Amino acid sequence: MRAPGVRALGLLTGRPPAAGAAVHALARPDRPGDRFRRATRECLLALAAVDAMLEDGKATREAIAGERTALLYVTAAAYGASNREFVERRGGVVHFAYTAPAVVPAEVAIEFGVTGAYGILIGGAPATLRAIEQAGRLLDAGTCDRALVLVVEIFEECADLHAARRRYHRWPLVETAACLWLEPGAGELSFRSSRAGGRPGRAAGPERFAAAPLAELAEWLRGPAPEPVELAGRWRGEEARLRWTRVRSHARESAA
Amino acid sequence: MSAPERVAIVAAGAVTPLGPDLEAFWSALVTGASGISQIERIDVADLRVQRGGEIKKIGRIKSWRGLPEGRASRLLIAAADDLCAQTAFRPLPLDPARVAVVVGTALGGVEEGEKALAGDGRRRRFRDALYDAPAWDLARWLGARGPVVTVATACASGATALAVGADLLRGGEADAVVAGGYDALCRFVLRGFNALRSLTREEVRPFDRRRAGLLLGEAGALALLVRERDVTGPRLGILRGYGSASDGFHIAAPEPEGRGLERAIRAALADARLGPEDVDFVSAHGTATLLNDRIETAALKRALGPRAYEVPVNSIKGSLGHTMGAAAALEAFMCLLSAQRGLIPPTLNLEEPDPECDLDYVPGRARAARPRIMLSTSMGFGGCNGALILEAT
Repeated sequence: MRAPGVRALGLLTGRPPAAGAAVHALARPDRPGDRFRRATRECLLALAAVDAMLEDGKATREAIAGERTALLYVTAAAYGASNREFVERRGGVVHFAYTAPAVVPAEVAIEFGVTGAYGILIGGAPATLRAIEQAGRLLDAGTCDRALVLVVEIFEECADLHAARRRYHRWPLVETAACLWLEPGAGELSFRSSRAGGRPGRAAGPERFAAAPLAELAEWLRGPAPEPVELAGRWRGEEARLRWTRVRSHARESAA
Repeated sequence: MSAPERVAIVAAGAVTPLGPDLEAFWSALVTGASGISQIERIDVADLRVQRGGEIKKIGRIKSWRGLPEGRASRLLIAAADDLCAQTAFRPLPLDPARVAVVVGTALGGVEEGEKALAGDGRRRRFRDALYDAPAWDLARWLGARGPVVTVATACASGATALAVGADLLRGGEADAVVAGGYDALCRFVLRGFNALRSLTREEVRPFDRRRAGLLLGEAGALALLVRERDVTGPRLGILRGYGSASDGFHIAAPEPEGRGLERAIRAALADARLGPEDVDFVSAHGTATLLNDRIETAALKRALGPRAYEVPVNSIKGSLGHTMGAAAALEAFMCLLSAQRGLIPPTLNLEEPDPECDLDYVPGRARAARPRIMLSTSMGFGGCNGALILEAT
């Protein structure tokens, strides 16, 4: 498959906490405007990730507005915070709509005027790699001119519940919000997914949440690392790999 | 650009408030039966609305011993059991690594999370509360070892899942895909919609001027998707196209002109390489809320032009409530059964048409017709819009 090219990537990651804490948390971003008064932390982090992406791409928000921009959102667990608050406060505090995973990309769509094709995948790192592949397909088919892969993972509000699953994770959990801007590219991209062994749905090794591949990609973009880029991740026993050449888009290379 | 590989919907299975399998679902739809009842399984005494499309007994599985406890997983497994009864798909007749599972949901296993937070601290509960847990339970029950994908485009999830399933086949990632949607009624969602005041104490009356809101339902709905060139036996139909678009307007309310849905319909027709004049029947999202039905009507008129007035348009939500993640898959199956059986189910409880909703909504009773190309529309929280184009075989 013809690979998409990376125009920009915005990445926010939590800072190391005090000794002994299990979560590297991201603070709730301040965002002016009454519209954001009730918005959840994961929604505001998504907006901040898009801002960071636009800064990385030296682009204005108009550059991603409109129906020719596709938006794919991935998370394994970010909805946990709003779901929990809704359950424990008996529905009195969180607006119910904010419990839906769909509301995180919706806030991005509203704020930045993104009205093209969309998708929402629930899962860990393999789902993010699949979303990059899907974005490539949408670009290849001419369904869109650009595609955004948005990932948000937050854990702080459910840290005690995640602790019950600690044998599946490498601690600490690092909260992350990231947005990847893809354009038609000229390289090659291959995606493979397989079972890591064991029973379906059971992790056979350390799991990786959805943001891990974008954190790795950001690291790669920072340096003169050799191609192809190989990104991998495991979740619930699924192991996925993405092999990608000519990762930087023409616009990004020109800007560099 | 060449047309995409054609994907066949070989068969479908379902468990709904209308009965334990797809046949019961279809029979009830065409005879105008209702699956709405007093909710009994969940404590709803403190809620304004206490009725919905509750399934009183899940499917035909005799014993659930050793199977997942979560209701969401059980709805999926019951739907898969119905599917397998029609297709001899269990044990799997092909390499399990080539069989994928793609399901859509608005709620995932959230009821398990409610239980965990209420003090039932069994370690498994939290893992089962994650939105992708029921899909993995289904894969385990099927013995499938290919990709397992969960999509959560709110109430358009079932449509997205069928489309993603078709993409897995076209991309060569799988040779068979079990795809569809599910959602279970639970206090979480009943309380949420109660707070939104979008539920009605009356009948669900899509496109009726007296419509006062929706009722929620629960269901599991799954199809077996295979590349058409690989199918040797009978099939239910073809998944011709899919389109999606975001409203970019409001987190809960639909865009007032329905522009997002219009874009999704146009994208689906383009994907199918078809035009509005090819559409013979529309299965509308038709939730019976004041806004939805008017907006959807406007979007259909703009997307289909004069053809919108010439084709029947129905909504089945008066019969079983809004089944959220399962709704779009069930509506797609209803379209294909309509073509196969030569009958279009009526829009239940539509008696006094709203002047602003002036299309042919099939009031009263089932109508004899044999549509060839069908459009099914979906809308959800966050401005998710999806449209499927289906073809009869």
